Amino acid sequence: MNQKDVLFKEIFDKNSKKIFHLCYGYTGDKDSANDLLQETFLKVWQNLDKFRNKSLISTWIYRIAVNTCLTYLRSEKRQAKDELTENIIENKIEEFSEKNEQVALLYKSISKLEENDRLIITMVLDELPYNEIADISGISEGNLRVKIHRIKQKLTELYNQHARI
Amino acid sequence: MQEFDHIEALWASHTVDVKISSDEMLKQAKKEVNNMRTKSLLNIGGMVFSFLVIASLWFFNFESWTTHIGITILLIAIAVYTVILYNNYRIIAKSDFTINPKEFIAQLKLYQLNRHRLYNQLYWFYAIALSLGMALYFFELLAHLSPWVQILLVVLSFGWIIFCSTLVRKAVIKRDKERIALLIEKFERISEQFTEQQ
Repeated sequence: MNQKDVLFKEIFDKNSKKIFHLCYGYTGDKDSANDLLQETFLKVWQNLDKFRNKSLISTWIYRIAVNTCLTYLRSEKRQAKDELTENIIENKIEEFSEKNEQVALLYKSISKLEENDRLIITMVLDELPYNEIADISGISEGNLRVKIHRIKQKLTELYNQHARI
Repeated sequence: MQEFDHIEALWASHTVDVKISSDEMLKQAKKEVNNMRTKSLLNIGGMVFSFLVIASLWFFNFESWTTHIGITILLIAIAVYTVILYNNYRIIAKSDFTINPKEFIAQLKLYQLNRHRLYNQLYWFYAIALSLGMALYFFELLAHLSPWVQILLVVLSFGWIIFCSTLVRKAVIKRDKERIALLIEKFERISEQFTEQQ
Protein backbone atom coordinates (compact mmCIF):
# COMPACT_ATOMS: atom_id res chain seq x y z
CA MET A 1 0.00 0.00 0.00
CA ASN A 2 1.53 3.34 -0.98
CA GLN A 3 1.72 6.54 1.04
CA LYS A 4 -1.33 8.10 -0.61
CA ASP A 5 -3.46 5.04 0.20
CA VAL A 6 -2.38 5.08 3.85
CA LEU A 7 -3.03 8.82 4.12
CA PHE A 8 -6.47 8.46 2.52
CA LYS A 9 -7.49 5.69 4.89
CA GLU A 10 -6.30 7.71 7.87
CA ILE A 11 -8.25 10.76 6.64
CA PHE A 12 -11.37 8.64 6.10
CA ASP A 13 -11.21 7.05 9.54
CA LYS A 14 -10.71 10.42 11.23
CA ASN A 15 -13.36 12.39 9.35
CA SER A 16 -16.02 10.03 7.99
CA LYS A 17 -18.34 10.14 11.03
CA LYS A 18 -18.42 13.92 11.16
CA ILE A 19 -18.92 14.18 7.41
CA PHE A 20 -21.72 11.63 7.70
CA HIS A 21 -23.35 13.79 10.41
CA LEU A 22 -23.14 16.78 8.08
CA CYS A 23 -24.69 14.88 5.18
CA TYR A 24 -27.34 13.27 7.39
CA GLY A 25 -28.21 16.61 8.94
CA TYR A 26 -28.50 18.10 5.49
CA THR A 27 -30.61 15.38 3.85
CA GLY A 28 -32.37 13.85 6.85
CA ASP A 29 -31.92 10.50 5.13
CA LYS A 30 -29.30 7.85 5.93
CA ASP A 31 -29.07 6.39 2.42
CA SER A 32 -28.63 9.79 0.76
CA ALA A 33 -26.12 10.68 3.48
CA ASN A 34 -24.12 7.56 2.64
CA ASP A 35 -24.18 8.46 -1.07
CA LEU A 36 -23.00 11.98 -0.27
CA LEU A 37 -20.28 10.67 2.04
CA GLN A 38 -18.94 8.45 -0.72
CA GLU A 39 -19.12 11.25 -3.31
CA THR A 40 -17.22 13.54 -0.93
CA PHE A 41 -14.43 11.05 -0.31
CA LEU A 42 -14.22 10.23 -4.00
CA LYS A 43 -13.46 13.93 -4.59
CA VAL A 44 -11.00 13.87 -1.68
CA TRP A 45 -9.16 10.97 -3.32
CA GLN A 46 -9.16 12.66 -6.73
CA ASN A 47 -7.78 15.92 -5.37
CA LEU A 48 -5.54 14.72 -2.57
CA ASP A 49 -2.40 15.41 -4.58
CA LYS A 50 -3.54 18.99 -5.17
CA PHE A 51 -4.22 19.71 -1.50
CA ARG A 52 -1.93 22.49 -0.34
CA ASN A 53 -1.50 22.87 3.39
CA LYS A 54 -3.00 26.36 3.32
CA SER A 55 -5.84 25.20 5.57
CA LEU A 56 -6.49 22.24 7.84
CA ILE A 57 -7.25 19.08 5.92
CA SER A 58 -10.51 18.71 7.88
CA THR A 59 -11.54 22.21 6.72
CA TRP A 60 -10.78 21.26 3.14
CA ILE A 61 -12.81 18.04 3.42
CA TYR A 62 -15.72 19.86 5.04
CA ARG A 63 -15.67 22.38 2.20
CA ILE A 64 -15.85 19.57 -0.34
CA ALA A 65 -18.68 17.95 1.64
CA VAL A 66 -20.61 21.23 1.87
CA ASN A 67 -20.29 21.73 -1.90
CA THR A 68 -21.33 18.15 -2.53
CA CYS A 69 -24.40 18.51 -0.28
CA LEU A 70 -25.48 21.78 -1.87
CA THR A 71 -25.13 20.30 -5.33
CA TYR A 72 -26.90 17.07 -4.49
CA LEU A 73 -30.52 17.83 -3.59
CA ARG A 74 -31.02 20.68 -6.01
CA SER A 75 -29.45 19.17 -9.07
CA GLU A 76 -31.23 15.88 -8.72
CA LYS A 77 -34.54 17.73 -8.98
CA ARG A 78 -35.86 15.77 -6.07
CA GLN A 79 -39.09 16.24 -4.23
CA ALA A 80 -39.50 19.26 -2.01
CA LYS A 81 -37.17 18.78 0.93
CA ASP A 82 -39.93 18.92 3.55
CA GLU A 83 -41.87 16.14 1.92
CA LEU A 84 -38.76 14.10 1.37
CA THR A 85 -37.30 14.30 4.83
CA GLU A 86 -40.64 13.81 6.56
CA ASN A 87 -41.35 10.65 4.60
CA ILE A 88 -37.93 9.23 5.03
CA ILE A 89 -37.50 10.04 8.67
CA GLU A 90 -40.92 8.70 9.51
CA ASN A 91 -40.40 5.50 7.55
CA LYS A 92 -36.90 4.70 8.59
CA ILE A 93 -36.83 4.79 12.35
CA GLU A 94 -35.66 1.31 13.10
CA GLU A 95 -36.00 1.17 16.85
CA PHE A 96 -38.80 3.04 18.49
CA SER A 97 -36.98 3.90 21.68
CA GLU A 98 -37.56 7.29 23.21
CA LYS A 99 -34.02 8.38 22.40
CA ASN A 100 -34.26 7.28 18.78
CA GLU A 101 -37.48 9.18 18.48
CA GLN A 102 -35.84 12.30 19.87
CA VAL A 103 -32.89 11.93 17.48
CA ALA A 104 -35.25 11.51 14.53
CA LEU A 105 -37.11 14.58 15.69
CA LEU A 106 -33.86 16.50 15.87
CA TYR A 107 -32.89 15.56 12.33
CA LYS A 108 -36.39 16.46 11.18
CA SER A 109 -36.07 19.86 12.86
CA ILE A 110 -32.64 20.44 11.28
CA SER A 111 -34.09 19.60 7.86
CA LYS A 112 -36.60 22.44 8.28
CA LEU A 113 -33.82 25.02 8.47
CA GLU A 114 -32.42 26.92 5.48
CA GLU A 115 -29.87 24.90 3.46
CA ASN A 116 -26.79 26.76 4.66
CA ASP A 117 -28.10 26.96 8.22
CA ARG A 118 -28.48 23.18 8.29
CA LEU A 119 -24.82 22.75 7.42
CA ILE A 120 -23.64 25.37 9.91
CA ILE A 121 -25.62 23.96 12.85
CA THR A 122 -24.37 20.44 12.14
CA MET A 123 -20.82 21.69 12.36
CA VAL A 124 -21.65 23.57 15.58
CA LEU A 125 -23.17 20.45 17.10
CA ASP A 126 -20.07 18.51 16.10
CA GLU A 127 -18.05 21.11 18.03
CA LEU A 128 -15.99 22.46 15.17
CA PRO A 129 -14.13 25.63 16.19
CA TYR A 130 -15.89 28.80 15.02
CA ASN A 131 -12.91 29.96 12.98
CA GLU A 132 -12.99 26.69 11.05
CA ILE A 133 -16.76 26.95 10.40
CA ALA A 134 -16.23 30.54 9.25
CA ASP A 135 -13.51 29.36 6.88
CA ILE A 136 -15.65 26.54 5.46
CA SER A 137 -18.80 28.60 4.99
CA GLY A 138 -17.06 31.77 3.83
CA ILE A 139 -18.59 34.04 6.49
CA SER A 140 -16.66 36.35 8.80
CA GLU A 141 -16.38 35.07 12.37
CA GLY A 142 -18.37 38.04 13.72
CA ASN A 143 -21.26 37.42 11.35
CA LEU A 144 -21.07 33.71 12.01
CA ARG A 145 -21.56 34.16 15.78
CA VAL A 146 -24.71 36.20 15.17
CA LYS A 147 -25.94 33.69 12.62
CA ILE A 148 -25.28 30.73 14.91
CA HIS A 149 -27.17 32.40 17.75
CA ARG A 150 -30.15 32.86 15.47
CA ILE A 151 -29.97 29.28 14.11
CA LYS A 152 -29.80 27.86 17.65
CA GLN A 153 -32.97 29.76 18.58
CA LYS A 154 -34.73 28.66 15.43
CA LEU A 155 -33.73 25.03 15.87
CA THR A 156 -34.84 24.96 19.52
CA GLU A 157 -38.15 26.47 18.47
CA LEU A 158 -38.64 23.91 15.70
CA TYR A 159 -37.64 21.03 17.95
CA ASN A 160 -40.12 22.10 20.62
CA GLN A 161 -42.85 22.58 18.04
CA HIS A 162 -42.35 19.06 16.69
CA ALA A 163 -42.07 17.61 20.18
CA ARG A 164 -45.50 18.98 21.05
CA ILE A 165 -47.18 17.38 18.00
CA MET B 1 -40.05 22.91 26.73
CA GLN B 2 -36.44 22.02 25.88
CA GLU B 3 -33.45 24.32 25.67
CA PHE B 4 -30.56 24.15 23.19
CA ASP B 5 -28.45 22.36 25.86
CA HIS B 6 -30.78 19.38 25.56
CA ILE B 7 -30.28 19.33 21.78
CA GLU B 8 -26.50 19.44 22.22
CA ALA B 9 -26.60 16.60 24.74
CA LEU B 10 -28.86 14.53 22.50
CA TRP B 11 -26.56 15.09 19.52
CA ALA B 12 -23.46 14.18 21.50
CA SER B 13 -25.03 10.95 22.76
CA HIS B 14 -26.23 9.64 19.40
CA THR B 15 -24.13 7.47 17.15
CA VAL B 16 -24.35 6.82 13.44
CA ASP B 17 -23.21 3.89 11.37
CA VAL B 18 -21.05 4.70 8.41
CA LYS B 19 -21.88 1.84 6.06
CA ILE B 20 -18.59 1.83 4.21
CA SER B 21 -15.12 1.05 5.62
CA SER B 22 -11.96 2.93 4.68
CA ASP B 23 -10.74 -0.10 2.71
CA GLU B 24 -13.92 -0.29 0.66
CA MET B 25 -13.91 3.47 0.10
CA LEU B 26 -10.32 3.38 -1.12
CA LYS B 27 -11.10 0.52 -3.48
CA GLN B 28 -14.17 2.32 -4.84
CA ALA B 29 -12.36 5.65 -5.26
CA LYS B 30 -9.54 4.03 -7.20
CA LYS B 31 -12.01 2.18 -9.42
CA GLU B 32 -14.00 5.32 -10.26
CA VAL B 33 -10.94 7.43 -11.03
CA ASN B 34 -9.44 4.66 -13.16
CA ASN B 35 -12.72 4.34 -15.10
CA MET B 36 -12.69 8.05 -15.92
CA ARG B 37 -9.05 7.93 -16.98
CA THR B 38 -9.60 4.79 -19.07
CA LYS B 39 -12.56 6.36 -20.86
CA SER B 40 -10.66 9.46 -21.94
CA LEU B 41 -7.57 7.43 -22.81
CA LEU B 42 -9.66 5.05 -24.92
CA ASN B 43 -11.05 8.02 -26.81
CA ILE B 44 -7.60 9.35 -27.62
CA GLY B 45 -6.16 5.83 -28.01
CA GLY B 46 -8.78 5.04 -30.65
CA MET B 47 -7.67 8.04 -32.70
CA VAL B 48 -3.98 7.11 -32.35
CA PHE B 49 -4.81 3.56 -33.42
CA SER B 50 -6.61 4.82 -36.54
CA PHE B 51 -3.57 7.00 -37.30
CA LEU B 52 -1.21 4.03 -37.05
CA VAL B 53 -3.45 1.76 -39.15
CA ILE B 54 -3.67 4.34 -41.94
CA ALA B 55 0.06 5.13 -41.71
CA SER B 56 0.81 1.40 -42.10
CA LEU B 57 -0.80 1.53 -45.57
CA TRP B 58 2.49 3.01 -46.76
CA PHE B 59 4.06 -0.44 -46.38
CA PHE B 60 2.19 -1.42 -49.55
CA ASN B 61 3.61 -0.35 -52.86
CA PHE B 62 1.41 2.31 -54.32
CA GLU B 63 2.19 3.73 -57.72
CA SER B 64 -0.12 6.71 -58.01
CA TRP B 65 0.69 10.05 -56.34
CA THR B 66 -3.02 10.42 -55.51
CA THR B 67 -2.78 7.52 -53.04
CA HIS B 68 0.11 9.13 -51.16
CA ILE B 69 -1.65 12.48 -51.03
CA GLY B 70 -4.86 10.76 -49.90
CA ILE B 71 -3.10 8.94 -47.04
CA THR B 72 -1.28 12.15 -46.03
CA ILE B 73 -4.54 14.12 -45.87
CA LEU B 74 -6.19 11.38 -43.80
CA LEU B 75 -3.27 11.30 -41.38
CA ILE B 76 -3.14 15.08 -40.97
CA ALA B 77 -6.90 15.25 -40.34
CA ILE B 78 -6.76 12.52 -37.69
CA ALA B 79 -3.66 13.99 -36.03
CA VAL B 80 -5.13 17.50 -35.83
CA TYR B 81 -8.41 16.22 -34.42
CA THR B 82 -6.60 14.08 -31.84
CA VAL B 83 -4.53 17.05 -30.65
CA ILE B 84 -7.70 19.15 -30.33
CA LEU B 85 -9.41 16.36 -28.35
CA TYR B 86 -6.40 16.05 -26.05
CA ASN B 87 -6.19 19.80 -25.46
CA ASN B 88 -9.87 19.89 -24.56
CA TYR B 89 -9.38 17.04 -22.13
CA ARG B 90 -6.49 18.91 -20.50
CA ILE B 91 -8.66 22.01 -19.96
CA ILE B 92 -11.10 20.04 -17.84
CA ALA B 93 -8.48 17.88 -16.12
CA LYS B 94 -6.22 20.65 -14.83
CA SER B 95 -8.86 22.64 -12.93
CA ASP B 96 -10.12 21.81 -9.47
CA PHE B 97 -13.35 23.27 -8.14
CA THR B 98 -12.30 23.01 -4.51
CA ILE B 99 -9.31 25.31 -5.03
CA ASN B 100 -10.65 28.04 -7.28
CA PRO B 101 -14.38 27.82 -8.10
CA LYS B 102 -14.40 30.88 -10.38
CA GLU B 103 -11.52 29.62 -12.48
CA PHE B 104 -13.11 26.20 -12.67
CA ILE B 105 -16.40 27.63 -13.96
CA ALA B 106 -14.51 29.77 -16.50
CA GLN B 107 -12.60 26.68 -17.69
CA LEU B 108 -15.83 24.71 -17.89
CA LYS B 109 -17.38 27.40 -20.08
CA LEU B 110 -14.29 27.42 -22.29
CA TYR B 111 -14.51 23.63 -22.54
CA GLN B 112 -18.19 23.88 -23.52
CA LEU B 113 -17.39 26.43 -26.22
CA ASN B 114 -14.49 24.33 -27.55
CA ARG B 115 -16.63 21.18 -27.66
CA HIS B 116 -19.30 23.12 -29.54
CA ARG B 117 -16.74 24.28 -32.09
CA LEU B 118 -15.27 20.81 -32.31
CA TYR B 119 -18.60 19.28 -33.30
CA ASN B 120 -19.70 22.14 -35.54
CA GLN B 121 -17.28 24.13 -37.73
CA LEU B 122 -14.24 21.93 -37.07
CA TYR B 123 -16.16 18.71 -37.63
CA TRP B 124 -17.01 19.72 -41.19
CA PHE B 125 -13.33 20.42 -41.95
CA TYR B 126 -12.57 17.01 -40.52
CA ALA B 127 -15.33 15.27 -42.53
CA ILE B 128 -14.33 17.07 -45.77
CA ALA B 129 -10.65 16.23 -45.23
CA LEU B 130 -11.50 12.56 -44.58
CA SER B 131 -13.73 12.39 -47.67
CA LEU B 132 -11.11 14.05 -49.85
CA GLY B 133 -8.36 11.80 -48.47
CA MET B 134 -10.45 8.69 -49.05
CA ALA B 135 -11.45 9.76 -52.57
CA LEU B 136 -7.79 10.24 -53.52
CA TYR B 137 -6.82 6.96 -51.85
CA PHE B 138 -9.58 4.99 -53.61
CA PHE B 139 -8.51 6.39 -57.00
CA GLU B 140 -5.71 3.81 -57.39
CA LEU B 141 -7.10 1.09 -55.15
CA LEU B 142 -10.48 0.75 -56.86
CA ALA B 143 -8.92 0.33 -60.29
CA HIS B 144 -7.81 -3.17 -59.25
CA LEU B 145 -11.23 -4.25 -57.97
CA SER B 146 -14.43 -5.47 -59.63
CA PRO B 147 -17.23 -2.88 -60.17
CA TRP B 148 -19.47 -4.39 -57.45
CA VAL B 149 -16.72 -4.27 -54.85
CA GLN B 150 -15.92 -0.74 -55.97
CA ILE B 151 -19.54 0.36 -55.42
CA LEU B 152 -19.73 -1.48 -52.08
CA LEU B 153 -16.52 0.13 -50.77
CA VAL B 154 -17.53 3.64 -51.84
CA VAL B 155 -21.08 3.31 -50.45
CA LEU B 156 -19.90 1.85 -47.15
CA SER B 157 -17.11 4.39 -46.63
CA PHE B 158 -19.05 7.51 -47.51
CA GLY B 159 -22.21 6.13 -45.89
CA TRP B 160 -20.27 5.78 -42.65
CA ILE B 161 -19.01 9.38 -42.88
CA ILE B 162 -22.54 10.64 -43.54
CA PHE B 163 -23.92 8.58 -40.63
CA CYS B 164 -21.27 9.99 -38.24
CA SER B 165 -21.73 13.54 -39.52
CA THR B 166 -25.48 13.53 -39.05
CA LEU B 167 -27.02 11.16 -36.50
CA VAL B 168 -23.98 10.45 -34.31
CA ARG B 169 -22.81 14.07 -34.34
CA LYS B 170 -26.25 15.39 -33.35
CA ALA B 171 -26.57 12.88 -30.51
CA VAL B 172 -23.10 13.71 -29.19
CA ILE B 173 -23.74 17.47 -29.38
CA LYS B 174 -27.04 17.08 -27.48
CA ARG B 175 -25.56 14.86 -24.77
CA ASP B 176 -22.51 17.06 -24.36
CA LYS B 177 -24.53 20.26 -24.20
CA GLU B 178 -26.85 18.93 -21.50
CA ARG B 179 -24.05 17.40 -19.44
CA ILE B 180 -21.81 20.48 -19.44
CA ALA B 181 -24.70 22.93 -18.98
CA LEU B 182 -25.82 20.99 -15.91
CA LEU B 183 -22.28 21.06 -14.51
CA ILE B 184 -21.97 24.81 -15.08
CA GLU B 185 -25.38 25.41 -13.52
CA LYS B 186 -24.48 23.35 -10.46
CA PHE B 187 -21.19 25.07 -9.83
CA GLU B 188 -22.52 28.55 -10.49
CA ARG B 189 -25.29 27.93 -7.99
CA ILE B 190 -22.84 26.84 -5.33
CA SER B 191 -20.59 29.82 -6.00
CA GLU B 192 -23.58 32.16 -5.70
CA GLN B 193 -24.55 30.62 -2.38
CA PHE B 194 -21.15 31.31 -0.94
CA THR B 195 -21.04 34.82 -2.37
CA GLU B 196 -24.45 35.58 -0.87
CA GLN B 197 -23.17 34.66 2.55
CA GLN B 198 -20.20 37.00 2.52
